[in-house]
Amino acid sequence: MSSPAVSSGPASGAPSGMVGRSTGDRIILGLTIAAAIAMMAPLVWVVALSLKDNKELMVSMNAVFHAPYTLQNYLNILATSSVFRWILNSLIVAGGLTLGTLVLSSLAGYGFARLNFPFRNVLFVIVLMGLAVPEQAVLIARHQLFSWMKLHNTYPGLILPNLSAPFGVFLMTQYFRAIPKELDEAALLDNASRFKIFWKVLLPLTLPAQATLGIFTFLGAWNDYLWPLISGTKKEMYTLTVGIASTQTNFAQSEGLGFLMSQAVFAGAPILILYLFFQKYIVTAVSGAAVR
Amino acid sequence: MIHMLRKTMLAAASIAALAAAHPAMAATELTFQRFFGACDADFGSNTDIAKAVGECGIITSMVNKFNADNPDIHVAVTTVEWPGYDQLTAQFAAGDPPDIVTIHHSALSDYQSKGLLVPLDDVLAANGIKPADFTDASRNGVTKDGKIYGLPIDNWTMLFHINMDLFKQAGLVDASGKPILPKSVDELLAQAKQFKEKTGKPYLIQNLANETALYTRNLYTYLFQQNSEFFADPTKVKINTPEAKKVVEMYKAIFDQGDTTKDLDYAASINAFLAGEGGVHLNGTWMIGDYTASAEKPGTALNKGGYAVYPYPQLFAGKHAQYADGHSLAVSQKDRSDEQTAAIGKFLKFMADHDFDWSRTGHLPAMKAVIESAEFKALPHRDTVAPIAELGTSLPSAVQRQFAIQDIIGQEMSAAITGQKEVDASLADMESRINELLANL
Repeated sequence: MSSPAVSSGPASGAPSGMVGRSTGDRIILGLTIAAAIAMMAPLVWVVALSLKDNKELMVSMNAVFHAPYTLQNYLNILATSSVFRWILNSLIVAGGLTLGTLVLSSLAGYGFARLNFPFRNVLFVIVLMGLAVPEQAVLIARHQLFSWMKLHNTYPGLILPNLSAPFGVFLMTQYFRAIPKELDEAALLDNASRFKIFWKVLLPLTLPAQATLGIFTFLGAWNDYLWPLISGTKKEMYTLTVGIASTQTNFAQSEGLGFLMSQAVFAGAPILILYLFFQKYIVTAVSGAAVR
Repeated sequence: MIHMLRKTMLAAASIAALAAAHPAMAATELTFQRFFGACDADFGSNTDIAKAVGECGIITSMVNKFNADNPDIHVAVTTVEWPGYDQLTAQFAAGDPPDIVTIHHSALSDYQSKGLLVPLDDVLAANGIKPADFTDASRNGVTKDGKIYGLPIDNWTMLFHINMDLFKQAGLVDASGKPILPKSVDELLAQAKQFKEKTGKPYLIQNLANETALYTRNLYTYLFQQNSEFFADPTKVKINTPEAKKVVEMYKAIFDQGDTTKDLDYAASINAFLAGEGGVHLNGTWMIGDYTASAEKPGTALNKGGYAVYPYPQLFAGKHAQYADGHSLAVSQKDRSDEQTAAIGKFLKFMADHDFDWSRTGHLPAMKAVIESAEFKALPHRDTVAPIAELGTSLPSAVQRQFAIQDIIGQEMSAAITGQKEVDASLADMESRINELLANL
């Protein structure tokens, strides 16, 4: 199967590409491209629908394949008086939650990995058990608790519940455990305090894990719908997900499909931008390389 | 002179003090939580209700107009994703519900039974609105335990939306040009067969994919038409009955014979009807406007032979009836001042007075005077669907969790009609699942 071009490629120092690839590589490449297209197609479809007039789509979906296209659906979103408030709310909630989770998970992870204290293992197991409890199971109790504390329709009300992050504690504990203890001991010999060792020596080494945890936390908080739906019930406290859902008409899937799709794109755009900036860390996180 | 001066100064001081102590002209604030979406771009500042179109446009303009006409009251609107009951329940639990909220007639019991809503009889009476002003379907929909718990603003139901061109091809149009609709199950099946033979297309367009509501509404309608009292006890359903079996088997026969579309979801079913892919689209009152507009546009499938719309045909020998629901404006139970209560009454009166404007959405008006008015009858196709105001029948008002019940019925009917389950097994499961739900409220 080798063509002259293939066999002569490496010898002539040709740049990498299809030239010089084996048949197996080509098959894998082809399958990868096919998979990428399959995954991209729905996204392209959503964007294309968002650029069409609702009434055209109501008559026929084929309208998506020909002009005219319009940005009116996006302009309608921006014309919603509260949309920028909702974006700000989402940024505050997702940002606050990310920061809080990183601080608490790092401290807890360090404690579980490095410090000896009574019931450490039992406590660690209890924290891990939190991974097995779905949010829905504690929703009513949590809602009542926050009602009692009068924290609904406040930023703390939206941020605090998810600060208890068993996954974050587990991730950071494992990461701290993987760092050689000799580093701590060397710092101790230099008369460094426990906090200084944590802050100056170990924490910088956990940056990849921090990035992973931060990205996952931010993405989760940005996309969260259930808790903001029932806690932030005043219009001015909606997050973006709840806010844009509230602008849908009753029959959005038929009468307002273009608008519906523009909402999906609009809500996803900040995440796409985040991905572009933190692509390397996200890929690392997804591939699991961050967990040693 | 000094006395005069004193009096003048005192009067001036009093006026100044009054002005300062009237921070308002401080308008009485009411919170109004509704679905129907947001449409600020088109109608955010519109106060000319006649210019508004669609549910969102009309209700937005109505509130704008009310605020403009009543500077002493400000209605602040919060929109929620349809139907918004998760949020509303959470708000009640947190002790912070909105003053006024949109609620389906079928969902009123869920809140009224827990004492969360204010009976409105006195508020409505104080503003000159009498229960007798409402259509029967509307009044029944909002009356719970003998009291009115919401201002009904409309009734909606499912209809036979008909492609007249295909009906003509199928020979299902009478001499006067009206569609010939079946009068029994046998006639329905025969006409569906005839339709397919003549046109090559299915008689019914139904959204059977990702759907529960359509199945449920169909079942309720044909149970009512058999005088089946499946909710004689509102806390326990008796639906594993011969009457229910007849209905499910009828829809199964239609499915098995290919006389219906099978794999369409809601949006696709609308596309299919607009493209002329079937004779009758089972859909709600809210589609009348869109289908009328399509029928008036040259070159469309509905423009060829016209568009007609009718209530569901009477297929059984019982009372003339079909399932209907409606929207209402309910008022939450919470501490409020007399001024706020008066403001709520004024707002409800305004909404009742503008029931015709709301009826332009396609929904049937809740007020008798509107449904009998010439201007309403002049709206397209309202003459043929007006009987719904009398035919429309809800579940008994004390039945709770009607949205959850709808899901169960839809799932079980879907399984039976598509052949995943025996009809008897589906009905048995339907009954036991609903009763389990109602036993654990």
